Amino acid sequence: MATFENISITEDARLLLEKTRRDGVETVWQRHDAQQPQCGYCETGLSCRICIMGPCRIDPFGEGPQRGVCGADADIIVARNLCRMIAAGAASHSDHGRDLVEVLAAVAAGKAPGYRIRDEQKLKSVAAEYGVETDGKDTLAIAAEVADAMMEDYGMRRKSLTLLSRAPEKRRQLWEKIGVTPRGIDRETSEMMHRTHMGVDNGWQSLLLQGLRNALSDGWGGSMIATEVSDILFGVPSPKATTVNVGVLREDQVNIVVHGHNPVVSEMILKACESPDLLALAREKGAAGINLAGVCCTGNELLMRHGIPMAGNHLMTELVLSTGAVEMMLVDYQCIMPSLGTIAGCYHTRMISTSDKARFPGMEHREFHPDNAEKMAAELVREAVENFTRRKQVYIPVQPVNAVGGFSVEAIVGALGGTPEPLLDAIKAGKIRGAVGIVGCNNPKIKHDYGHVTLSRRLIENDILVVDTGCVSVATAKAGLKVPEAIEMAGPGLKEVCGALGIPPVLHLGSCVDNVRILVLASALADALGVDISDLPLAGAAPEWYSEKAATIGTYFVASGVYTVLGPMPPVTGSANVVGLLTEGLNDVVGATFAVEPDPEKAAMLIRRHIEGKRKALGLSSVEV
Amino acid sequence: MKQVVVHPERCVGCMQCMVACAVAHSRSGQLYTALAERPRPRPRVHVGAGLYNEGFPNRCRHCDPAPCLLACLAGAIFRDAHTGTVLIDPDKCINCASCAMACPYGVIRFHEDPVAPPGKTVAVKCDNCDQRVAQGLAPACTEACKSGALTYEEMDEAMRRKTAEVARSVSTGAETAAVPPALALLMAVKKAELSL
Amino acid sequence: MQHVILGNGIAGVSAAEAIRRMDPRAGITMISDEQTVPYSRPMISMLLDGSAAPEQLPIRAERFYEDLGVTALLGKRVDAIDLQARRVALAGRAPVPFDRLLIATGADARRVEAQNDGLQNIFTMRRREDVQAMLAALGGTRRALVLGGGLVGFKAAYGLMKRGCRVTMLITSAYPLSMQVDETAGKMILDELLHHGLEVRVGVSVTAFEGRTSVSGAQLSDGGKVACDMVVIGKGVTPALDFVPLDRIDVDLGIRVDKHLETGAEGVYAAGDVAQCTDIARGRPWINAIWPEAAAQGRTAGMNMAGRAVAYRGSLGRNVMRVFDLDVMTLGLVDPPDDGTCTALTWQDPRRRMYRKLVLRENVPVGAVLINAVEQGGVLLSLIRNRAPLAIPPERLLEPSFNVRQLMGWG
Repeated sequence: MATFENISITEDARLLLEKTRRDGVETVWQRHDAQQPQCGYCETGLSCRICIMGPCRIDPFGEGPQRGVCGADADIIVARNLCRMIAAGAASHSDHGRDLVEVLAAVAAGKAPGYRIRDEQKLKSVAAEYGVETDGKDTLAIAAEVADAMMEDYGMRRKSLTLLSRAPEKRRQLWEKIGVTPRGIDRETSEMMHRTHMGVDNGWQSLLLQGLRNALSDGWGGSMIATEVSDILFGVPSPKATTVNVGVLREDQVNIVVHGHNPVVSEMILKACESPDLLALAREKGAAGINLAGVCCTGNELLMRHGIPMAGNHLMTELVLSTGAVEMMLVDYQCIMPSLGTIAGCYHTRMISTSDKARFPGMEHREFHPDNAEKMAAELVREAVENFTRRKQVYIPVQPVNAVGGFSVEAIVGALGGTPEPLLDAIKAGKIRGAVGIVGCNNPKIKHDYGHVTLSRRLIENDILVVDTGCVSVATAKAGLKVPEAIEMAGPGLKEVCGALGIPPVLHLGSCVDNVRILVLASALADALGVDISDLPLAGAAPEWYSEKAATIGTYFVASGVYTVLGPMPPVTGSANVVGLLTEGLNDVVGATFAVEPDPEKAAMLIRRHIEGKRKALGLSSVEV
Repeated sequence: MKQVVVHPERCVGCMQCMVACAVAHSRSGQLYTALAERPRPRPRVHVGAGLYNEGFPNRCRHCDPAPCLLACLAGAIFRDAHTGTVLIDPDKCINCASCAMACPYGVIRFHEDPVAPPGKTVAVKCDNCDQRVAQGLAPACTEACKSGALTYEEMDEAMRRKTAEVARSVSTGAETAAVPPALALLMAVKKAELSL
Repeated sequence: MQHVILGNGIAGVSAAEAIRRMDPRAGITMISDEQTVPYSRPMISMLLDGSAAPEQLPIRAERFYEDLGVTALLGKRVDAIDLQARRVALAGRAPVPFDRLLIATGADARRVEAQNDGLQNIFTMRRREDVQAMLAALGGTRRALVLGGGLVGFKAAYGLMKRGCRVTMLITSAYPLSMQVDETAGKMILDELLHHGLEVRVGVSVTAFEGRTSVSGAQLSDGGKVACDMVVIGKGVTPALDFVPLDRIDVDLGIRVDKHLETGAEGVYAAGDVAQCTDIARGRPWINAIWPEAAAQGRTAGMNMAGRAVAYRGSLGRNVMRVFDLDVMTLGLVDPPDDGTCTALTWQDPRRRMYRKLVLRENVPVGAVLINAVEQGGVLLSLIRNRAPLAIPPERLLEPSFNVRQLMGWG
């Protein structure tokens, strides 16, 4: 294993890594080391486990087998594998969205005590988009109809997804022309799995096109529904001050950490943490209070709406436990390492799994459903408080860093004075060169947070506005880029604009399903200019991505016309054709491509060059990069 | 005489040689049943990671003179006069690890083995699949390797081929690169990741 | 050409074989006070702990001397070397003439200065018969006292514990094997031994033994007493060179030799535990009294004696041992002097009970300690031997994933 300095740029990670070594706790980095070398067939996408005439692999050197048993060549195998990644990512986000729609329906039916419609305004505007009549109807009736209409989006009755209407006209026409307009959320995933079955679609180009459509069904479908319904149920985010890093855990309080993605569980936990009874119990047990903190995206959901502090991102989840300061960690699903139960076992931390679809070794399973969530949350917070007395030595080695989160599109437009015009003017004037959405995960292949923070710094230095989500947002917040004073690190133009608005140069847009807020923002800008998204000086980046969900996000970004730079290489290099299509050919298809560049310094150059190129094409001032 | 030749630049790190080796040295000789055997058969070729996590199939070179053979306290390591293979007699081995201290390649392991007396930990390493070869088969690792990192061939032939490859790759307008471009791209990305 | 070899340990045996390979007709005489076919001396401790059987000890066939065409004079100890007349004198036998002479007499175990040290069941552990006598006495042994925590003391204690004895060990340092390992490794070894029931007394020595015919206890320098029915003395060895004419052959720690292993006297060579060579890691004269170096020196001396000038590159201390559930390997200089010439890097994984240490002198590895997962030790040894500066970050060498491929650099 490399030294701790080579593992993470963050002080809390380094100090806690030292502690895990002292405590004999195995972390993701050691397991990554133990996996080296990783299988080259799998890394290149050249292994196929789809059927049991195989498994097969293609020799990348050209001497060994060049076709699988079925006859699939490298192009087909690589395309099928990539498409299955996209399908899995789309399924994950969209299933998360489905769970929210079910809660919305349960609220409407009066079967979800504790949950309510927090933002009627948003409900009504979404209802309008779904063509649901709102006049004279009570809120719950509208909610029921909206939930119903959303369920239709998951099915097979529609010719195209409802929320595609948010995309610029030109983009929708392009999708129609190349045949990638997503019809039903589950349908596209299902069809993707069908097409990649042995003996179905063996055109690597047509497979990849369905991959685009499947990703779009997530970005403009499942994920977008997840975000919209979350806003309806829990409120549209607005800027909130908060704190980040492991220092947000409190030595004198009961620490409860929520981990996972869906606010359905964490919102109820938050409510319970504010209960006077339980606060009294905490004081009785010798604690000064109950401190709720987040890791991963469910934390981001709470941060966006309530300013709840974030203890860390994906690669911090094990280290947070090693503080010995966590009374209880509650998880729902996605990105929860199955190692957590074992690590918690080294401390007094109780681990609770809450979703009927996600179980983990070493965790106690306490299932949350809309009808029992409020009660279950209270029970569990009580147990967490009771666990405070079992706490042993605590190690919280850093002080928390301030940050501001909560920039929904509504909040950004609000900060701009109710219209995107000021932002467009700043872009036209060249004060802001463009905007970049930095998204995605952590990956032990990349020095923890280095990609996110370095890229963000380079972009704001060069007057490029950064919006981020998910694990990136924690990284940049820890690095101090998410306070208004961070404009000192920005270039003069961006500094002026953000300074005038009183906002940081790096805006926290939410969790990983909230990447759709970036799509909505980009569409608003494109519409205001009367162009397509692909004409805008925008880019996406996923400097430390690891998950199938991230593969899907990257794909819907590109399919929506956003040039996207990946850090780690996706498993595609076994096919020069697929690589060529993704990095060049797609430009002619959707007006955007992927690039791969693990070094964030170089990625920043690629992005600046792209943005200046787009500016030039729009007739705006541009510089040579 | 044919021998196992290692071409490290072709190793993709899939570890299939390790699986094939363990199976070849199991009692049953079949993957699915071998997994249930006790002691569990283990590989004698070890895929390690290079500095940028590239694969490397590390196996016994059957050195001559062999440092392990010279270091063996119990006289358990010997060279087969016919094949030149350096072998370890599990009945004589006393598990003292002197050979591990002598081996400059780090290819000797210590564990129970299907061919050792039951319950006895012994030094184990590559035996060139002498038994398979005697039956006219190729060593298991070379049979499993589909990327050409482990081949079973005449050394002269391997050298000739390698010389030709090098010559092609340095001559201008070479038609075939030593490493395919897409794979070279992956390697470059992995190097870049590690050098952050 | 008449070759005479004094000693039938691994140095002498290797020399005889090297000479014979070079010169099928040379006369070779081997003289030894041990009356057996050559056996593996390091294995006598495995005989004690039960991991090796007596019949596994011989390293050569029963007819070794005959097959090699060697005249063996066994059970004889050399009295003197007459360099003028070029012959060696033996008690009760005519002198043996030589053209080339190899002194490979090894070393003898040191005794202790204590009263009643002639009692029965007080042993040193150097030869096979020592261990055989210990094994014979084992039936009546419940408590054993081991003097010294060096290699012999440690191996005696370990072997006797494996045989079910209660063992008390008297050591001068705070942990055993202080000449072989560093403090961290030493403490890990000590913990392992204590965990398995060893009693350790630090900083005390024996002043007198008690008992009628057989030892029953020992009086200690701190006034205390230890009851014991067996004593093993592991207080190191001294080179066996009392017959060497010190006026003609230079002796320091051992017999000084040049790079061809020739002493100051022409045609007279020395090899094995009796010879003082240059230590590769320390860069100065030293005796690394270990079996593989004795074999290498014997082989090299033999080739030089037979007329092929071969240089010996120096010796390197090293050891590997299994201590219950700890595997311990030490290579070269593991406890460097605190004079700023060396740097040490360490790595530890308490969960897997692994410890690794690398000692460097100006980026050249000169020593290493490995506890558990010792398989890559030979790679480190060859690096130390080659004395070449590292081309990769030294931390890499400590990692569990280290392997020989990484030495090839960023290929």
